[in-house]
Amino acid sequence: MKLFGIAVIVLAGACTMAQAGTISGKVAGDSGKAVVYVEKTAGKTSPASDKHATMDQKGLRFVPHVLAIEQGTTVEFKNSDTVAHNAFWPSISGNKKLGHNLGTWPQGQSKTFKFDNPGAAALLCNVHPEMSAYVVVSPTPYFAATDASGNYKIENVPDGKYTVTAWHEGSKNQSKPVTVGGDSKIDF
Amino acid sequence: MTLTNKVKLLAALFSLIVISSQFASAIPAFSRQYQTSCATCHSNFPKLNDFGKAFKDAGFKFPEGDETFLKLPPVLLGAPAQKEQWPHTIWPGTIPNMPPIGLRMNNFFQVTGRRRNDYNTNLQPAGTPPGTVGGFPFIPRTDFSTGLFSIFTAGNFGSDIAFWVDDDISVGGQNAAGGLGDAYLKFHNIGRFLRMPKDSLALRVGRFELDLPFSQARSHNISPYDIYSEANIGAMNALVPLQQNVNNSFSFAGAANGLEFSGGHQYGGYHYSLAIVNQNTSGSAQGDNTSLFVPSPTGGAGGGIGFASDSNFKDLYGRLSYRFNLERDSASRNAIQAAGPTGPQDHTSLNLGSFYFYGKSVQRFAGTLAGGPAVVSAHEPFYRLGGDFNFNHRALNVYGLYMVGHDRNLLPIDSAGALIVLPLTPGALPAGFLSSRSATFSGGFVQADYRVLPWVVGIMRWDSVKSSADRINGLAVAENTPFAVPFRATRNRFTPGVQFLVHANIKASFEYQIRPEQTTTIFVDPATGLLVSSSPFRTNTATAGLEFVY
Repeated sequence: MKLFGIAVIVLAGACTMAQAGTISGKVAGDSGKAVVYVEKTAGKTSPASDKHATMDQKGLRFVPHVLAIEQGTTVEFKNSDTVAHNAFWPSISGNKKLGHNLGTWPQGQSKTFKFDNPGAAALLCNVHPEMSAYVVVSPTPYFAATDASGNYKIENVPDGKYTVTAWHEGSKNQSKPVTVGGDSKIDF
Repeated sequence: MTLTNKVKLLAALFSLIVISSQFASAIPAFSRQYQTSCATCHSNFPKLNDFGKAFKDAGFKFPEGDETFLKLPPVLLGAPAQKEQWPHTIWPGTIPNMPPIGLRMNNFFQVTGRRRNDYNTNLQPAGTPPGTVGGFPFIPRTDFSTGLFSIFTAGNFGSDIAFWVDDDISVGGQNAAGGLGDAYLKFHNIGRFLRMPKDSLALRVGRFELDLPFSQARSHNISPYDIYSEANIGAMNALVPLQQNVNNSFSFAGAANGLEFSGGHQYGGYHYSLAIVNQNTSGSAQGDNTSLFVPSPTGGAGGGIGFASDSNFKDLYGRLSYRFNLERDSASRNAIQAAGPTGPQDHTSLNLGSFYFYGKSVQRFAGTLAGGPAVVSAHEPFYRLGGDFNFNHRALNVYGLYMVGHDRNLLPIDSAGALIVLPLTPGALPAGFLSSRSATFSGGFVQADYRVLPWVVGIMRWDSVKSSADRINGLAVAENTPFAVPFRATRNRFTPGVQFLVHANIKASFEYQIRPEQTTTIFVDPATGLLVSSSPFRTNTATAGLEFVY
């Protein structure tokens, strides 16, 4: 019986390895961080996210400048500055109905917001117009931010056919089809 | 010019401004250090918002946690731990990482009323065209001109020591000499040595604009406040039954040399300023005030930078104001900025203040007495007294001041005690002086700024100056500014305007200066012997300004 159990676990692991792949590549062109994510595919669902992430305001800057999260993630917005800010985003991917004003809160306190809609929210401060950041909401759990060289790697993507989108500050989104079966490579 | 043409002209001008502005992109002085927008401290540069006032009050730094905002860390002039070694070492300080230098440039375009040369014409001999006699200029219908190009640097050296220097490299057109504006060190929070509350006592030393209710040197308007430029020149006209021996060139428009104690905050609560400054009521330039025998600072005999003061007396200036922030929530009321629906904003507030300046104007007469060459002086005390208000509610800011000027008038008398008709015969000295009718003036302004959009501000201002001496003297006769002094005891000016922030550091400004009730055609009234005038005359002007800082 014990041996049977071990065999099932090994088999299940082997199956999982066989069904999950990796998408990697490079986002070239513009400098700065980009986010690459897998678009939703009809018939494929993923469990709702209960993750948390943090966006801080420190030294008249949003930190980090680009925050990539999964749809459904709750973001904690902090204020580490001795001055007040007013964080808001006028839209998410151009949809002004999804714009939201978090208001103003003093140093040491925070506010939270759950991002239920995918897209990119351009985070601004009403008081300090030079401040900006982006919260990029991926519709699936399969996303990654690029490193300093523009390289990215999305792991544990189930085998199948997908559309992969690259978001970059100041550029239009680029989407490309990809078939995942083991390691896949796609550049933007 | 028809209305259609006027509209076309304004449209073309605005297009020119917008197009030319697009080539400029820059960052002002503090923006470099903190990498933040001008809008952090200015609502409509150089006008400060509440945070900007707090930044200035704190010594050109963030009121709290300044080091966390500096993107360029200051250079240490000694490790902080060196303080433990004092007095066996120099007290450590800092200097800004990069010299915090800013530059400001502006250009103007003016359209002047049709009868713009009438005033000059009436002051010249009959038959001579304008611009040919007496140096009176021909006033063109339209004129492009450069304003100032100034360099300024400001910041702090740590230890609550702030500095500011600004200098007009070029003013008033090509090849004109520039001039030093403010140049001072300010020692903030020195009250801590006396266990006084924080920010209750600071010392400023150098050259600075007096702590006026509303800054002229850093005004966001194109045209200056008329009352600030008012010097008190008594009725010198010999046709006046009772002349005034008052020739005081002092005005609030210029900077003063001296020192100042101040305290409080500009963004809420009390604020005060007590200044002791040089007197120079004769208006003589420092460079001309040199002696062959007595070295001035930095110089040997006959050289150096000259003496800035023309008297032993030092003038005194005091200002006290209190600002009531009107938010109901105490936390918001006491904060540097009030809490607003879209973030921190300027407080809804009412600021009330008063100011007083006391000095002594010196009239000197050189001549010969029995004992040889001599100088006889008349020391004429004078004061300027005024009150001011400043009300702010969201996008609306209404403010103004009223002030009076008063100079004691000491008329020269001969040995028999009879009044001597002015001007004195060169070389003749009075035996004494007799106090007579004082020379006075009054006036002020009220201005409203309304922020239509964050980048559009509408302005309406009313200036008024009342001085009978100005009318009697016909001051414009002696000055190349025919539009500055109309021929009436009271001169009013209405100035509607609008300003556009093309970028946070580029501003296009428009003003239409309306001067009603001015008159010309000057003649001597045979009944009274006084100069009088007739024929209404308006020297209205439309001025456009374009300025940028970087």
